[in-house]
Parts: sequence; structure tokens; C-alpha cells
Amino acid sequence: MADLDRRSFLTHAAGAAAAMAIFPEILPGAVRMPQGPLPVGIIGYGRQGRRLTVELLDKLGEAAKVVAVCDTSDSRVQSGVGRAAGSEGFADHRAMLDKVKDLGAVIIATPTHEHRQIALDCIAAGKHVYCETPLAHTAEDCLAISRAARGAKAVFATALEGRSNPIYNLARSFYRTDAVRDMVWLYAQSQQKTTWGRKGDWWLDPAVSLGLPGEMGLQQFDVFHWYRNSYPVAVEGRGAIRLHNDGREMADTVRCLFRWADDVELTYVASLASSLGGRYETFHGVNASIKLAWSHGWMFKEADSPQLGFEVYANRQQFHNDEGITLIADATKLASQGKLKEGVGLPYSPAYYALADFFKAIAEGKAPAGTAADAARSTIVAIAAAEAVKTGKSVSIDPEVLKGA
Amino acid sequence: MPAPEATPLCLAREAMGTRFEFVLSAGDLDEVSLRAVGEEALDEVVSLGERLSWFSMGSVVSRLAAAAGAEPVRVAPDVFSLLTLSRQVWLGSAGAFDPTIAPLLRLWGLRGRVSEAPPTEEALAQARTLVGLDKLDLDPLACTARLGVPDMSLDLGAVAKGWALDAAASMLRAAGVQTALLHGGTSSIHGWGAPPGQRGWGVRVAPPPGSSAPPLTVLLCDASMSVSAPHGRRGVAGAGHVIDPRTGLPAGGAELACVLGPGGAACDAWSTACLVLGERPPGLPEAWTTLLLRGGIWQVRGPQEACISQG
Repeated sequence: MADLDRRSFLTHAAGAAAAMAIFPEILPGAVRMPQGPLPVGIIGYGRQGRRLTVELLDKLGEAAKVVAVCDTSDSRVQSGVGRAAGSEGFADHRAMLDKVKDLGAVIIATPTHEHRQIALDCIAAGKHVYCETPLAHTAEDCLAISRAARGAKAVFATALEGRSNPIYNLARSFYRTDAVRDMVWLYAQSQQKTTWGRKGDWWLDPAVSLGLPGEMGLQQFDVFHWYRNSYPVAVEGRGAIRLHNDGREMADTVRCLFRWADDVELTYVASLASSLGGRYETFHGVNASIKLAWSHGWMFKEADSPQLGFEVYANRQQFHNDEGITLIADATKLASQGKLKEGVGLPYSPAYYALADFFKAIAEGKAPAGTAADAARSTIVAIAAAEAVKTGKSVSIDPEVLKGA
Repeated sequence: MPAPEATPLCLAREAMGTRFEFVLSAGDLDEVSLRAVGEEALDEVVSLGERLSWFSMGSVVSRLAAAAGAEPVRVAPDVFSLLTLSRQVWLGSAGAFDPTIAPLLRLWGLRGRVSEAPPTEEALAQARTLVGLDKLDLDPLACTARLGVPDMSLDLGAVAKGWALDAAASMLRAAGVQTALLHGGTSSIHGWGAPPGQRGWGVRVAPPPGSSAPPLTVLLCDASMSVSAPHGRRGVAGAGHVIDPRTGLPAGGAELACVLGPGGAACDAWSTACLVLGERPPGLPEAWTTLLLRGGIWQVRGPQEACISQG
């Protein structure tokens, strides 16, 4: 089940914190481009484009300089240009690619169904690309982007934020070395009470949107795919409208049940009508369980599970009757300074780490944490989940299609 | 019969350690759409608060403090603009408003309690060596900021709420909201349009507890407003939460100060300066209106004087 040898892992871990100290660069400022900040264009300045632009301007100024903002809405362009002083506004990404000659990279944050053409144009123009997820709204588009990215000389990174998240990487090292042992079941939820848009917003249009499984669940599904190195083979789903019954067709509350070939199941619930619990994923194993909540992570050990070595000094948090060991990236260094508690929680947002990984990949010529193929496969799973929610039927996920990504 | 007026939509969110409330009227938007744009604007308030938060390791405030005395830090253009505005008010108020005041706030237990006793003169003198916006280097070409002395830090709490309301108002106006009253913690307020049958939003400014002064009502229309007063949260030895950066002592210039003008962040900064000085700052442009309560007497000055009444 695990790639690494469990005994050798525990040898390294026992009596020392080495196993926890695998990400010394959780604090930003480390990403610098050799030739100075890379000129970047933002394509799509809606909620997500705005969020990514703030990360670039606030924290990645040594890596990137926003020189262009592109959106079909003039007011959004004006807003983006106002925020990224000195940048130029465009209504069409092709015009931006043609005019801004020194553009090094683009961030694609448009509606999902527009990704394919924009991504292909940017790849053809030789730009480094960071593309939001879902990668596309159809499997065909996902595969087209994935194939084009595979042949590209530049970096093509995707917003699979778990893969660059230091806490998620740390937790995965435990998972992959069998600290949790056999899986009992998997669970994830995204709960946030919100209106989630208004009439005319594309994500409420079932023709082009993957709804909650795509727009909220995909990144969580990808965490399970990444940890397990495998994908579910089928998904059942149900959906309902619980909050604003204003004529919208897109369910604001969904439940999905994914099944893997080894019979492990993932229950996923999402709701925009209730906030309790927020957004997290849990891996329930017979020795331990891992709970991941994007900025925080915990391990809950069963009383009869073997010692891993770091429990002696670990920071702990009580959840009703359960005691969680806080997963702290860079823990060795912090523990040696007596500052372990200061390391609880990520200092920066998951989006920051994903963007930082993108620029590191460019600077170092390495593959990004989330590739187009990774995003294509997870998106195809989300497409199946969206279909299951829409029809209320079980939908198979063809492994051969996933292999094509 | 005329159609009944639509009930305004009220939204709220906790941010920056206080409560932000938006009262929005529909205009051409249906209720769900109005709610959606209001929630998005509140999300922006939360995001801006985190960017300036003293408590967030990832905030620009934390990064500047970590690099104090060392290299410049590249900051986002909107943050650079806020720092530039802060410098303008600092200059215009002869240092009565100063966001480098954080070391003094710490001594008075207003940013983590270090002692139960008031700070000694030596401690104040030492802390004051770390205070002064002249020690903040701003490079507009590189869009960088640098705190010139190690251990210096910024506290932008005095302008953050107004800054966030400016951004929220901009988003809401762009989305077509024609009438709104926004406030953060009741001390930073922004209003445009007016409730049905009114000329503006009536905002009552109450004097501090125990004061014999009457309350005032400001008719707020297409303007921002900020109220500063030493009462409320207290530091060690009962010190009010506004500290005079020039002396390091609790501000005693006025019992309450209020500024009305075209921008929320600027109103916040100028009202703090007014409270510390106890008078209208020399550099405050004439277009701004001030309300000062000193010795139980209101002093009102500025172009919006006619919009202010007793009661």
C-alpha cells in the first residue's frame, strides 16, 4: 500500500523530529526569479483572479510583476488595473498575448468552460501557465489541455492547492509510510453559508458549470487521489436546493459517494446553506486518522497504535473527546527554538504556496506540484460527480479515460 | 396606493476584531443578487483585514516588521497607497497620527499585555526611538517600504476599517448598489444614497459616558465618517486606547473627534489625529468636516456643518 518502507521511515522518525522537518520554506520571500520579477498577465479578474492577484502583489513581488489584466468586463479590468498599478487592461487574451511582448507567464482564472481555448493559445504563445481548476467542463477539453501542456516547453501548473501545501505534504508523508495503516473510510466536506452568486453567473449554469463537486470539491477530491495514487471507479450523487430557491437549477447542497477499486469509499458533502465544520478532509485508518483543513492538519492516533517517535514533544489540540497531534511543517526548527506553537497553522494561504511552487518550477526548470495531467484526471472525476448529482444515478469513471490525460 | 418600499437588506461579518454591518437597498437588483454582491464585498473586507493584520504572520505588517532595519519589502500598490496616505496625514498632523506607534501600544498593553503597571519613563523613551514615520522609507518606483530601525513595527489598525470600507463601497457601487450604509465597529462609516424620503443616512454621534454634551446627528450622504474616542477598550492602568505618538502617553486632546470626508481611510487617520491634537490639524484640507468634543462642548467646522444637528 505504501511507497516507502515503513520500518525505515520509523527509524528516521523515532526519537527525532526529522520526519516532520521536510519543508523549511513555509515562510515566504524565498521565491526570486533569476532575471528579476517575471511579467505576468491575469486572464479573468473575477473573485478568483482577484484573490490570486492579491497573493502575487502582496507576497510574490520578487517573483512576479503583474503587467496586464484581461477580462471581458470593463469594470473588472478597471478594478484590476487599479489594483496592479502600471498594468495594462485588455478585453481579449489574444490581444494581450500579441501586445505584451515581454509577458512571461499567465494566470488563467476565467470561467471553467473558457479555459481550453485560452490555455491552448497561451501554450502556443510559449507562455508559462498557471491554470485554475476545474481544468475544463468536459473530459474532452481536459484531455486537450493536458496533451497540449505535455508538449509545451514552458511550465503548465494547475491550482491543485493541496499538492503544494506544506501541511498536506507533511501529512502525506505519514500516510504514505503507513502510519494510518489500512483505510476504514474517507470523508470530506465543504460547508459555507453563502448566496454563491446571482442570476447570470456562469457557475450557476448547469450547461457549463460542474457545480459544487467541481467548484468546491475538486481540490479536495484531488487530495485523496494524490495521497492514494489512484482514482475512484464510480460515484453516486444527490443534490438539492436548500437556501435560495430563486429559480436556480444548480444544487446548493450535495452528497456524493465515491468508490475505489479496493472498495474504499469517500463520502463528500457540500452545502452553501450551512457553515458548520467548514472545509476539511479526513482519512480514517485502523491505526490513526488524519484530518486536513487547508491551513491546519492533525493526526489522531488510536490507543493501540505504535509510537511514531515525535509524540513526546508534539503540540496537541483537544476536539471534544479526541486529542489531535498538530501537524506542523518545519517543526524540528521551531521545537529547537521553543516556538513549536508558533508553527501551528500555515502563515500564508494555500493559494500562495501553489503560486510560489509555480514560480519555483519556472526558476528551477522543474515540474510543478500540480500538473495539467493531475488536474485533468481530478476534473474528470469531478465531472462524473457533477453528473451523478444532476441525474441521481451512479456514474462510472473509466480508468482508460484517466490514462489518456 | 404606492408600492411599499422594499426592506433594506442587512448583512454582517466579523472582521478586524469587530463587526462590520452593511445596510443595502436594492435599486435594480433582486434580493438574492443584492445579497450576493454584499457577501462578496464582506469577503473583501475580511481579506483586506487579514492583509493588514498584526496577528497574521503572512500580513504585510508582519513582513515589514520582520525586515525592519534590513532590506526593503515589496508591497502591493494598494498597500503602498495606504502607506503614502498615512505619511500625508502624519505630516499634516505634525506626527499626531503615526502608524509606527506599535511599540508604544505594546507598552500600554494595547497589543499584548507586557505589564500591569504603566510604563516607566525610560521604557517610553526607549520605545519612542522606534516611533516616527520619518523612519519609514517609501520607494514609489520599486513599490517598496522599509522600516528603518530594527524592532520597529507598523500598526495600521487606525486606518484599516476605513480602508476596507472604501474597497467594499467601490465594489458595491460597481455592482449597481445605489443606496447603502456600511460601518465597521460603528466607528468607521460610509454611506451613499439615502433611505426613502430622507436626504441622507442619519448617524448619531453620542458623547462619551458621563459627558453633559448632547448627542449630535450627522446626515451622511455620499461621504465617509470616522469617530475616534479614548473610551471603550482600555490598556494598563485604565489608559484609553489612543496613544499620543509624540509623547507616548494616552491621548488627552479631546473627548471625542469625528471627521467627515470623501475617503474612509483618510477619515480614520484624520480623526485619530484630531483626537490626539484636540483641535483640527493644520494640514487637514478645508473640504473635510470635523466635530470635536472638548470640555463638554462641541466644535463643528467644515463644509458639511449644515448636515449636523443636535439630538
